[in-house]
Parts: sequence; structure tokens; C-alpha cells
Amino acid sequence: MENIIEVKSLAKYFSDQPALENVSFNVKKGETFGFLGPSGSGKTTTIKILTAQLAQTDGEALVFGVNASNLKKEEYRKKIGILTDNSGLYSRLTIYDNLKLYCDLYDVPDKRIDEVLGMVNLIDEKKKAVSKLSKGMTQRVTLARAFLHQPELLFLDEPTSALDPVNTKHIYKGLKDLKEKGTTIFLTTHDMNEAETLCDRVAFLNNGAIQLLDSPKALRQKFADHTLTVELTDGSKVIVDKGPGGAQTVYDYMSGNKIVSIYSNEPTLGDIFVEVTGRKLA
Amino acid sequence: MTFSMKRSMAILYKDYKDVSKNLYVSTTVLLPLVMAAIYGRMGIEAIDTHYMVINMIFSLVAAYVQCSLIAEEKEKNTLRGLMLSPASTLEILFGKSLLSFISTIAVIIIAAFLTGYNPDNVIIVGMAIILSAVFYIGVGTLLGLLTKSVMEASVVILPIMMIFSFGSFLTPFIEKYPVLKFIEYLPNLQLIELANQVEAGAGLADVWFHLAVIIVWTAAVFALVVAVYKKRMMD
Ligand SMILES: Nc1ncnc2c1ncn2[C@@H]1O[C@H](COP(=O)(O)OP(=O)(O)OP(=O)(O)O)[C@@H](O)[C@H]1O
Ligand SMILES: [Mg+2]
Repeated sequence: MENIIEVKSLAKYFSDQPALENVSFNVKKGETFGFLGPSGSGKTTTIKILTAQLAQTDGEALVFGVNASNLKKEEYRKKIGILTDNSGLYSRLTIYDNLKLYCDLYDVPDKRIDEVLGMVNLIDEKKKAVSKLSKGMTQRVTLARAFLHQPELLFLDEPTSALDPVNTKHIYKGLKDLKEKGTTIFLTTHDMNEAETLCDRVAFLNNGAIQLLDSPKALRQKFADHTLTVELTDGSKVIVDKGPGGAQTVYDYMSGNKIVSIYSNEPTLGDIFVEVTGRKLA
Repeated sequence: MTFSMKRSMAILYKDYKDVSKNLYVSTTVLLPLVMAAIYGRMGIEAIDTHYMVINMIFSLVAAYVQCSLIAEEKEKNTLRGLMLSPASTLEILFGKSLLSFISTIAVIIIAAFLTGYNPDNVIIVGMAIILSAVFYIGVGTLLGLLTKSVMEASVVILPIMMIFSFGSFLTPFIEKYPVLKFIEYLPNLQLIELANQVEAGAGLADVWFHLAVIIVWTAAVFALVVAVYKKRMMD
């Protein structure tokens, strides 16, 4: 399958301080790629390098097969949509007028505004000035602006960090629709459920390099420890092997009528995150 | 690379809507008109006095308003959005200068009417004023790009305003200290010199040098603006 992003031995130093040391990965056409890692691990830095907002210290970053630093041409700009923490809006203007400017800049017909506002559930708010919006609403406008021009490649840096569960679900549906239409999505998030719900593959970035890269399902299998947790009537918990070794123990507890519940210890992406990075989620 | 007027006009339209809701900027535009009305009532004859008003307009409307518009785009993180769009450097810089340019020219025309300034050769003086307006907008853009916030920009622009708006007060010093002779070549003094000569009956053949000096200044500022702008596209 065709690679939309190819990153090889990417390094970025901020005055001798390494943010990225040796990062390599590919993103395939049409996939939703989760870029996970603790706060300060270099996710936003990577996005900035990939969108020509920052120059790398070393290594290679190709987007659509060309060096990321050469993406300033109009044809590439139209293929890329970006949402980062530095995507500002004009606060005195209405939602509609903010998006109208971007329609003109990207040669998109104005009727697209209602389409994207529907996707982020803001149709009724479009005449409101951005300064009057809540944080979550503002984030949804920025999101709508990122895919206004139907980009082939969408960079989303923590797109749902300020959203309530209902809007988050609505956005997931929108992002899944975009994926259906062939959009490649590069997503960073601190929400492991989000990564699990949306991503075909996830990469864990830590200490300047990719520590793990696979589909959430494969990762869960890889990290499964083949144990059961048995909760007993006296309130204690016992970890038991899933294999024959644990059979006798479970049998004994069962015979003694001591079991409240038994469950399989499947790791979540969050567990894997903690194990790989040795850090708690931010 | 083709130039898309549509994109520049979209930025102008956006700026117009934004500024019409921004009391701070709209009052700044009106200030020189109040001064022009007062001078007009007093009745002034000297070219230098007309140009005090015009230089004030250049400083406040062309340079200062432009500087705040650019600084605000930086402060609110909207400039990056424009930079990452398909719009080219030229389309953005041109679009982003249009509102200040139109306001500057409009305010100068109204002020000239109020102070009763009626140049002998409107074409030459008009050309010189348009070029100067572009120069001051360039200065405003440059300072806006170099500063981080509207607040910072308002402070940084003060010395610039001093030099350019009160430039004609410096003339006696130039006569006293020859080291300061280069000040004569400042675009504001060149403009006044040109205007005085036009009133004395000079034609284009007589004042081309002053026009050329202003063009050189404008070109230099423009080159600097583009260089700094390109730097600002990256962190
Ligand atoms: N412009 C900069 N100058 C100096 N250091 C920087 C700069 N930008 C980022 N850094 C540093 O680089 C490292 C990575 O930052 P980055 O913003 O990429 O992290 P992140 O993974 O996006 O974190 P978060 O999850 O909190 O958004 C941090 O240590 C940060 O302090
Ligand atoms: Mg970040």
C-alpha cells in the first residue's frame, strides 16, 4: 500500500535539548494513524515538522513523497488539513465569517460551510461571534476548518481534548465518514479509548523514538499476560494463570463457594501505554 | 505562480469586518481627522503644516494600524493559518495591506479637504503620497511581524512614529550638525521637499529624484518584510 507519510531517523533538537532523537514510521494511504505518547514526548513537534512549520535537525520527513519542507506549494496546501494548538480563529468574527475566509483561500464553494458545521454539530451557532463560544465549541470550529477543503491528509493534534462525550461521539462519526471517503488521518490524543475507537494503527512515542507500532488489537494480544483475576468473597483478589496451571486453584475456590467474579486480564491501550512509557497518562 | 486577487480580497473583506467591530482601531483612524478639522478652522498656509497632518496619518493609520493588524494575527495565532493555506506570500501581504492602504488614502483626502491643501500638481503629489503610504504600511507590517503581541507592537512603534511624524522638526538640527545630513533622505522629508517644490511650480523632471528616493525606501522595506515573513512561516 502507498505511503502518504514516510519518516526516517527524524531528529529534532531545541538548543541541544533533544525532543526527537530517532523517529521512524510510515503512514499508509487511507489509514487513521494514532500518534501517542506522554506530554512533552514530541508529538506536536513531529506534526510541525511534517507540515513545514518547523525544520528538523536531522533525518527525513516525506509527505506525499516530497520533503516536508517543500510542501509550501499551493497544490500540497490544498491536500493537507491541520488542527494544532496554534490554529487560531478570528474572535470578533462569526463562525460563518471565519469559515468563509477559508473557503475563499482554498477555492471551496460557500455551501461547504453548512456541511462541515453539520459534521461538528454547530449549524445553529454559525452567526455567533467566536469570542462568545465555549472552549469545546471553539475546538469544533477549528476542526471544521481543518477539513473544510476535504484534504487528503488530515493532521489532528488532540482534536477532542475539550469536548463533552456527546460531541466527541458525533466527531468520531464524522472522522469515520472522512476515513470512509479515503482521508488519511494523523491523530494525536491522550485518550486511549479514542485511539482504540478510531485508529487502524498506533505508535507510542517516548524518549525521542517510536517504542511500539501496531494495530490496537495486535498490541493487546502481544501484551496479554494470560491471567485471570478471581475476586473472592472475603474481598481479596487472586491472579491465576489461564492455562492448566491455574485450573486447580480456580476449581478449589469454586468448590468452596468463595468466588464473587472472575475476569480475564486483557490490557487496554492505556495499560500498554503505562507499561511502555513507564509514566502515567497526562 | 499566478496571483489570485480573490484570496487577497477575501483577506480584505475579513479585515474590514473585523476592524468594524474593533473600536480601538476605528478611533485611531478618526484621530488625525479631528486634528485636521482643528487646523482647518485655524486656517493654515504653510505646506509643512499640511504635512504635519499627513505625516500623522502615515504614522497612525498606515504604520500603526497596519502594525496592530499584523501583531493581532500573530498574537491570536491566525497568521499561521493564512500561511498554511494555499495563499502565496504576495497574496497574503497584499490582502493584509489593503485595508490600511484604502483607509490611509481616504483619510488623507478628507484631511486635505479639511485643511484646505490643494496641491498644484495633484498627479505628482498623489504619486508621492501613494508611494509613501506603501512605505509606511511596509514599516507597520515589519514591526507587526517582529513583535509578539498588539501590546508590544504599540510600544515598539512609538520611536518610529517620532522619527517619521516629527521629521520636519529635525531640519534645524541638520543645519547645525552636518553628521545628521542623512536625515534629509528620510522618506518623510523627501515628501515634504517634493511637495514644497511642486507648490513652487516644479514638474516631474524637477522632483524625480525625491520620488526615486521614496521608491528606494519602499523597495527596501518590502524586501525586509518578505524576508521576515518567510522566517515567520516556521517556528
Ligand atoms: N519552540 C520550542 N522551543 C524549545 N523547546 C520546545 C519547543 N517546542 C517544543 N519544545 C520541547 O520539545 C518537547 C516536545 O514538545 P511537544 O510539544 O512536541 O510535545 P507533545 O508530545 O506534543 O506534548 P503534549 O502531549 O503535552 O501536547 C518538549 O520538551 C518541549 O518543551
Ligand atoms: Mg502537543
